[in-house]
Amino acid sequence: MKGLYRRLAFGAMRKNYRYYLPYILACLGMTGMYFILAALSEGEILLSFRGGDIMRTILHLGCGVLMVFSLLFLFYTNAFLLRRRKKEFGLYNVLGMGKRHLMGVCLWEGVSVALLSILGGILLGLLFSKAAELLMVHLLGMRTDFRLRINVAAMLQTAAVFGVIHLLLLLHTLYQVARTDPLSLLRSESAGEKPPRANFLAALLGAVLLGLAYYLAVSIEDPVTALIWFFVAVILVILGTYLLFISGSVALCRLLQKNKRYYYKTNHFVSVSTMAFRMKRNGAGLASICILCTMVLVMLASTVCLYIGSTDSLMQRYPRQILLSARLGALSAEEEEALEALRTAALTETAQCGLAPENTLEYHLLEASVYRRGEDAHVAGTAPYDEESELWELRIAPLSDYERLTGETVDLADDEALYFATQGRVLEEETLRLQGGPALRIAGQAEEIPALGDDVANVSPVLYLFVPNFEEVALPLLALTNSEGSSLADISWTLGFDTDGTDQEQMLLYEDISQALEALKFDLPEDSYVHARVECRAEQQEGFYSLYGGLFFLGVTLGIVFLFAAVLMIYYKQISEGYEDRARFDIMQRVGMTRREIRRSINSQVLTVFFLPMLTAGLHLCFAFPLLYRLLILFGVMDFALLMQTTALCFLAFALLYTVVYRVTSGAYYRIVSGVGRGEA
Amino acid sequence: MTILDVKGVKKTYVPRFGGAPVEALRGVSFSAEEGEYVAIMGESGSGKTTLLNILAALDRPTAGTVTLDGMDLGKIREDRVAAFRRESLGFVFQEFNLLDTFTVEDNILLPLVLANQPAGKMRQRLKPLVERLGIADLLKKYPYEISGGQKQRAAVARALITNPRLLLADEPTGALDSRATDELLALFERVNRAGQTILMVTHSVKAASHASRVLFIKDGELFHQIYRGDMDNERFYERIAQALTLLTTGGEKA
Repeated sequence: MKGLYRRLAFGAMRKNYRYYLPYILACLGMTGMYFILAALSEGEILLSFRGGDIMRTILHLGCGVLMVFSLLFLFYTNAFLLRRRKKEFGLYNVLGMGKRHLMGVCLWEGVSVALLSILGGILLGLLFSKAAELLMVHLLGMRTDFRLRINVAAMLQTAAVFGVIHLLLLLHTLYQVARTDPLSLLRSESAGEKPPRANFLAALLGAVLLGLAYYLAVSIEDPVTALIWFFVAVILVILGTYLLFISGSVALCRLLQKNKRYYYKTNHFVSVSTMAFRMKRNGAGLASICILCTMVLVMLASTVCLYIGSTDSLMQRYPRQILLSARLGALSAEEEEALEALRTAALTETAQCGLAPENTLEYHLLEASVYRRGEDAHVAGTAPYDEESELWELRIAPLSDYERLTGETVDLADDEALYFATQGRVLEEETLRLQGGPALRIAGQAEEIPALGDDVANVSPVLYLFVPNFEEVALPLLALTNSEGSSLADISWTLGFDTDGTDQEQMLLYEDISQALEALKFDLPEDSYVHARVECRAEQQEGFYSLYGGLFFLGVTLGIVFLFAAVLMIYYKQISEGYEDRARFDIMQRVGMTRREIRRSINSQVLTVFFLPMLTAGLHLCFAFPLLYRLLILFGVMDFALLMQTTALCFLAFALLYTVVYRVTSGAYYRIVSGVGRGEA
Repeated sequence: MTILDVKGVKKTYVPRFGGAPVEALRGVSFSAEEGEYVAIMGESGSGKTTLLNILAALDRPTAGTVTLDGMDLGKIREDRVAAFRRESLGFVFQEFNLLDTFTVEDNILLPLVLANQPAGKMRQRLKPLVERLGIADLLKKYPYEISGGQKQRAAVARALITNPRLLLADEPTGALDSRATDELLALFERVNRAGQTILMVTHSVKAASHASRVLFIKDGELFHQIYRGDMDNERFYERIAQALTLLTTGGEKA
């Protein structure tokens, strides 16, 4: 008896290889990918790497996402397989097998698939983990050797996670077999299907939700708000897509059917009515494919853009190799003296390291947070916050610094100012009244400014004002205090320079300057202060690349997984529809449709079903684009053209791959459909 | 006037993976007059379905000719075959073969839509036909919502809506209960009396006893035929039953 279960289970799997093979491959692939991510995140390679923590966190996140996704996806495919097998179970039941025996067969099947896919998946993961490691190392700008490391902890973790998933799948299968009456299953496939009823309300709701999501995506300007509403928009898009695909499509077909003149035409008649059924059955599947595609596209576009833009944003954040900066309480002779001491200390240390500063950058800024409301700007802390104003960071710099650093000459009257705003903001007001200071006429906008530093990733918009008479504008602000008497604005001073040293030398220099700064003592008035610090690009870049490269790596790996999941769903859809269409194909031929007409009609339906998700995903992506742009600003990537290019490229590459999948799976579909012999009836 | 002329039709299937060729038909000849109601009987595997597929131009004979209404089916161009089938032939099948994605109305209209008829003209033809067949109030229903007998009447309506020269029926009562069978046979008789030529392949002696002539096929050859003459249905039924007994007990060819 035991041998019989095994033979039945393996026999069924061999006979239904068209269904089982992709399923097993999917299990293998998911297991392998999970193992790779787990092995990388637990591996020793990251321990030696500065910024490895960030990468590890990102990889852990990836593992979690993959685990949840695997569970959902394998349940979906398993349910699909189960539906196909019900008829066979019914037959076994008629032949005298009880439910216990059927469960025995299922047990054999489940356990063997689980063992095969876990062991095979880990093996597959081992084979590819070195390649993945090299890719990661390359993305992160690290070095590694070519030794193959076997990570036992990751293996156990993978086996445990997928063991549990397969156990759940098995329990679900057994439950299904136990719950249903196999005799009725024998007939289940040929049972009449209810015609789709158009649910116009749901269709309308779907359109409204999607419209709302699109509106949110397009209208939000502020990155922080964008971050909050991003998830709302995602959920709205998902709901809207499902509703539209499931109800909207059927409703559309029904409307077309009501239009007699359109409907009763040879090329519309069959397509429209079959589409209604097809969409009823496949709406949810297609919507899932669409969501998966959108996820792949958004993830790839943004992570690729981040990765390519990472050097740029590193340069923006750290405009020079060494950055010495200080916050000052005032700008009198004592502070000037302190700054001179800082300057000397930095230059002396540099000389002692045998390096020469070059490309020097030095400037002053007045910094304050202000509430802006139209033309008025109140320094935060002086007045209670009211809902209608918006928090901005204000930076005021002497025009002379701007001219010196950019090499431009700008002619401004005493009450005029040149401005620059981050996050792509534009000032609409012509004048700006600073609290306690003069009204400034906005004379123009600077295209870009030499150094942004921290402000690259400031969540509030930052407004730079370049004024001819710095003291007159800045000093009144400096005098403002809150109710406790502490100052609300301060002066920042920055000195940056490059050297001709290697990364290693730069980091040594950085250490030296840090120590020198600690040793410095300033002679200052009681209410003033000088807080100095030093930053080094070389010291920061690994963390930078680790974050951006890590996100990119994760984007690519998860993108691959989602893509293959979408491909598999499409494949299952194609072959299951192939069997359904086969009978229909035969009848149509008998009532006088030519093979060419049938082929054309089926072709157009298959094309619609296939490319609808991709085109919808493209549309989603278009609307997600402005939102993505705002979000990337938070990461310091502001290159609109770059995001545009990467998005377009990702979509093109994706469309190409999708079309290849279409060619391959529609081949399988036509093989099934044209298996209809002329004489079979 | 002769409407259908079948001359020396042979059909040989060559198995795809070698092996001996199978002769499904070994030279069948017969003809049918306009307005005749011909039943073809024979056991499973006798070649009935092959013959019907050849008459329907779904399959081509290995040798011999089929002439319908003066037109040689073998000479129709491949791209005209579908149009020919649509315009000259009507089909009724054992399994009804209604498309489950269409309402009854759309199923019936299918051949007309395929022939690119204007929507107005379709209604004109549909209305009297469905009233005659008693399915006028089922039009908006889907096949899964109606009974087997109703499905078969809808299928008959689909076959007749093009006013075909020949109605081909393949085991039309095979999936019906006895009441629905009686109704369908009565319907066929009425349609035939109105001038419709019918050719029906069947197992059922009862179904065959409604025809005006019965052909018997055995092992791919025409074995025997009986005319009704002035016999009533019961008498004809007995004659057919006798002939069948002869056929199965292996009598000599008539």
